[in-house]
Amino acid sequence: MMRSMRFDPGLIRARQRERLAEWADMLPVLAGRAAWRIGPPLIGIALFLALWQAAHLQYGAFILPSPWQTVAATVTALSGLAGWAALGATLARVLLALGLSVVIGGGLGLLSGYVAVIRAILAPVAIILLGMPATAWVILTMIWFGPSHGAILFTIAIVTGPILYIGTVDAVRGRDRRLEDMAASFGASALARFHRVALRQILAALGPVIGIALALGFKVAIMAELVTNVAGLGAEMARARAQMDIDMALANVALAVIGLLLIEHLLIRPLQSRTGHWQRPDG
Amino acid sequence: MSGLTLATISHAFAGRRVLDTVSLVIRPGELVALVGPSGSGKSTLAAIAGGVLKPDRGRIMRRYARHGMVFQQARLLPWADARDNIGFPLQLAGMGAERIAARVQAAAEAVALRPDDLSKRPDALSGGMRARVAIARALVVEPDFLVFDEPFAALDPALRRRMQDLVLSLSGARGFGGLFITHDLFEAARLAHRIAVLDRQGRGITGSLTPPGAPGTRSEATIFGFVEKTRDDPLLRDLVNVDERALPLEGACDISGFRRCC
Repeated sequence: MMRSMRFDPGLIRARQRERLAEWADMLPVLAGRAAWRIGPPLIGIALFLALWQAAHLQYGAFILPSPWQTVAATVTALSGLAGWAALGATLARVLLALGLSVVIGGGLGLLSGYVAVIRAILAPVAIILLGMPATAWVILTMIWFGPSHGAILFTIAIVTGPILYIGTVDAVRGRDRRLEDMAASFGASALARFHRVALRQILAALGPVIGIALALGFKVAIMAELVTNVAGLGAEMARARAQMDIDMALANVALAVIGLLLIEHLLIRPLQSRTGHWQRPDG
Repeated sequence: MSGLTLATISHAFAGRRVLDTVSLVIRPGELVALVGPSGSGKSTLAAIAGGVLKPDRGRIMRRYARHGMVFQQARLLPWADARDNIGFPLQLAGMGAERIAARVQAAAEAVALRPDDLSKRPDALSGGMRARVAIARALVVEPDFLVFDEPFAALDPALRRRMQDLVLSLSGARGFGGLFITHDLFEAARLAHRIAVLDRQGRGITGSLTPPGAPGTRSEATIFGFVEKTRDDPLLRDLVNVDERALPLEGACDISGFRRCC
């Protein structure tokens, strides 16, 4: 009898209708939620574009091209190999330098977080490095290394390194040590306590710090490329400035923003959600 | 059978002596409640008994194969669901996934956790459920000795009573011995075979009290009568009358952990 009820076409259709009716009831709620999620950012973007367009109308295309002109120039830049090469060069430098910063700054941060003497020794160094303006490093590395790929890498790494160092020290010191005591009571070795309990918390705390370091690294990379004229988005901007090509200058700014968003959404956000999902109530 | 001997244990934090030549013998199968005022070093002694801390001086003789520990505030891994939290000690021991799943299932059933609770993270569990997960995590190693460090202090009275009943039924069924840290005389009289009293400055065990009958068989009237009678006992003078303002500032308990707590 149960079997005949399960395969009764009338019953199945009735259930499908019921389900459709449920969806129809939920539709306004879901639409409302989506509108609430997407609506405000869209309003923000529209406001920004409207202000940009208004400024363009006020000052003219020579001073500020319209958003549409900028999009067209960006598409032109990306239609040739040179545009992709510039974007790729800057992205590669930022990623490489950020990797170096994570290894050196993060490694020293881990050490300092656990060993008070090393923390005390490195604290003033970190503060001095953190206080140095990025522009000063661009000038210094130009003098030390000349206008080279290495100079830009060094500049990005030395600017973002202290941020990652301090972020890691804070992450180590801010972890919940009671969890490690709990693990110790079940016989966990120091290494097991570190990689099963402490590291998870440290990585979760480091996610936002890496995001900040990435954004800063991108800005420093473009500035250093602009000054040293080494291939990349910064060098393209320098060329656009020399040729008074404001469309191309803004197109390169747009490319820089696109590059940053690409790394943020393809690399940093997935990393953050993998390591820190448990910190969000809905994670 | 399980038993534990702590012999002339001394321990200091940052030069301040918290425990000074404390000795305590817990006989096989015996559940001993350790009471003492705040700042007397109860949690430090629990940490030493549980293997979290190594004492500066003294000897620990464990006559059991495995112990489990239940902490004040459940100390669950916030990123792991209840199932993984219960199985955590077994993962540390490198046990295979299938055996872990079976043991977790058995431990969860022992503390009456529902299957749908097992997939919830700690932030989605109530205080009582978190306490049950913490107890299940201690049971999953199949311990023959359990250390409880004020595990129910943060729970409301009704929930605390339910958790005490759970401990009573588990200890009755499994026959494990243990050390139960508490500052609640009623809780101690309800759960323990014997109540040991720690000196207010951690200078040894000042004495022991034995409530009539065995844990789980005492009536409420018996427990109430025992507590009322022992309140006047000179042994418990500090527990009942200690003014925490009279304690040295560094003796004030910090709940952030053993190394930072007495």
